[in-house]
Amino acid sequence: MNQRILLIEDDRELRAALKEALSVEGYAVQTSASLADARALLQHADRHTAPELVLLDLGLPDGDGETFLPELRRAGGTPVIVISAREAEGQKIRLLDEGADDYLVKPFGIGELLARMRVALRHRGQHNRPAVLSYRHGALDIDLAAHRVRRHGNEVHLTPTEFKLLARLVRQTGQVVTHRQLLADVWGAEHTEQTQYLRLYMGQLRAKLEDDSAEPQYLLTEPGVGYRIADTET
Amino acid sequence: MSTPPNTPAAPRWHSARPWFTWLVGWALMLALAPRLDLANLAMVLMLTSAVASLWLPGGISAGASAVAVIAFNWAFVPPRFTLTVDLHQHALLLLAMLVVNWIISGLVIRQRQLADAARQVAEREMRLRTWGDTLRDAVDPAAHASALHAALADATQAPVAVAVLRGLGAQPEDDSTLHVGPVNDEQRAGLAVCIRDGRAMGSGTGRYDELPDWYLPLRGRGVTLGAALVCGMGTERNGLELRPHLQALCDQMGSALHRSLITAQELQAREQAQLQATRNALLAAISHDYRTPLATIMGAASALHDQADKLDAGQRRRLAGGIVEEAERLSRLTDNTLQLARLDAPAVQLRCDWESAEEIVGAVLRRARRRPEGARIKAWIEPAMPLLWCDALLVSQLLENLLDNALKYSPAESAVSLQVRRQSSEALLSVCDRGPGIAPAWHERVFEVFQRGDESLRDRNLDARGQGAGVGLAVCRAIARAHGGELRLRARAHGGSCFECALPLRELQDAPPEEGPP
Repeated sequence: MNQRILLIEDDRELRAALKEALSVEGYAVQTSASLADARALLQHADRHTAPELVLLDLGLPDGDGETFLPELRRAGGTPVIVISAREAEGQKIRLLDEGADDYLVKPFGIGELLARMRVALRHRGQHNRPAVLSYRHGALDIDLAAHRVRRHGNEVHLTPTEFKLLARLVRQTGQVVTHRQLLADVWGAEHTEQTQYLRLYMGQLRAKLEDDSAEPQYLLTEPGVGYRIADTET
Repeated sequence: MSTPPNTPAAPRWHSARPWFTWLVGWALMLALAPRLDLANLAMVLMLTSAVASLWLPGGISAGASAVAVIAFNWAFVPPRFTLTVDLHQHALLLLAMLVVNWIISGLVIRQRQLADAARQVAEREMRLRTWGDTLRDAVDPAAHASALHAALADATQAPVAVAVLRGLGAQPEDDSTLHVGPVNDEQRAGLAVCIRDGRAMGSGTGRYDELPDWYLPLRGRGVTLGAALVCGMGTERNGLELRPHLQALCDQMGSALHRSLITAQELQAREQAQLQATRNALLAAISHDYRTPLATIMGAASALHDQADKLDAGQRRRLAGGIVEEAERLSRLTDNTLQLARLDAPAVQLRCDWESAEEIVGAVLRRARRRPEGARIKAWIEPAMPLLWCDALLVSQLLENLLDNALKYSPAESAVSLQVRRQSSEALLSVCDRGPGIAPAWHERVFEVFQRGDESLRDRNLDARGQGAGVGLAVCRAIARAHGGELRLRARAHGGSCFECALPLRELQDAPPEEGPP
């Protein structure tokens, strides 16, 4: 069955173009130009018509994406991808911290959007299912349950903190995890400002896992936002 | 001016001097009384009276003389120790003594007044001259409102207030009007009226004569730029001479204010014109930068739109690829333009954090490698590079621009190097190419050429570097400087250019907790 997407975007041209491109890929796309539209749409939706993924543009005419995200979250575990302009940097990060699944900065290519959507749909409803426990991509083989990391088949020794950091990224493979989320989950809620911890441990992880840490293939940086472990399917 | 200014210790001695003189005179007379006759004793008395009148005010001097003559009569004129005058000669002597004493006192006092007046004139001239010097040296005469306040207070010994307008055309009621010295609402209104009318008012001025105070305008050429209030001048005896002096002080301030405001206005107008020229040049440059990618997009898109049937799949893909590539270029241009505007604003807020050079370079490389020419980039980062305190997005943008530039202006097969290393207390981020290089005369101008309102410079730069560098390098320098760093251009030894961005390194305070082996 076609996966249902709700696209909330106020620009008519962009909305039309995205709808067309997504339909071609086999998605069933509903669109709304404002938060009010989107609310009405969600209210009248039942289990068979509710969207399975929301693409949320920031800076809508009738309100902030920030107020809409909690509503979506209450309605269920629908994944949300935030679409933002370069200027909405701070807002984008806040939304990610509050649970949005990923983000795209305008202008973006359709390939990038599709990749993000695939990852988000794959992670959908993860709360109810067992978490991702393994990662196999290129030379890297990570088994979280067995606490084992292999590179080119050789075991790699990680410190407990390094392992926790890696595990946190793997659980959200392909998706961006913000600095704040990583710091809170690995070091604790009182360390969410200590970005320097992250920098140092990510550097150590790269040195152990990457062929060339200046050009990482697995542990990717999203400048100013967070980190992402490369998706296994791209 | 009733009391000439003196050092604080002097007045006491001043007032004691005449009485001391009288004391000495009487002591002398008493001592000499047995040996001298009455006429000679009278000479001592007259001498004493004349000397004492040098310092005593007129009335007191005359009174003192009269009392002294009576006392002389009592003490020395026979019959002694009575006030009776028994001989005609003695009466004549006493009368003559009194009259001569008075004449001497009168002459001495008149002389003293003349000397006082001359000193006052000299003092006023001195005050005007120093005041003029103060104002001439002042960059912002409004800042000297308090100096005027002090000068007026010094000249009058009375409560003084000064109001100064902060601009030509400003209204006296504006909040911006500068007030020095305490004023009540009525006085404030009086100052405003005085500024509006540009004429003095208050007692003796012919306008609002009933007011006890003086309001004096600070007059420039044809405008009034403030007013001074001098309280309690209605009772001033020297008002007639004092007021022109105070007015002269005020007018000096007025012309100085006027001069400085005109200068400021001219400067502002010049800056405005320059800003306009810069803005126009920038807009022209930006539109020029946009036109090329837009032309490509328009061409390719219209071909796809109008000639869809005649194009084969390969042609369609190439055209669409061109659109994507040029749209990305437009996006970069827009980012740069936006960033330039943002960094140009005063008090830019950077989103600084501890960042790893390796990560920034990694993210930049990942994007650059997607482009076909991205494979030419060779990156190297010094091992154990300390963390940078910077805005990661801005520094990424800086590196992207420099790489973009280097790839565009160097031969297709040559390598472009991206290096990060530590140099004393700075991190040095450099992007070097093997292109034709840039003439030394242009080493500074490439960073700012579009910010200058000089069209001819721009065209020559376009010739020197092929297509325009656009706002890209200007943004790069703005980013470096916003971080307290600098971006420089260096010629390479065997041809090509190196753009080097130096960012200051900070001491990392809070290192993560140590952990044992796993």
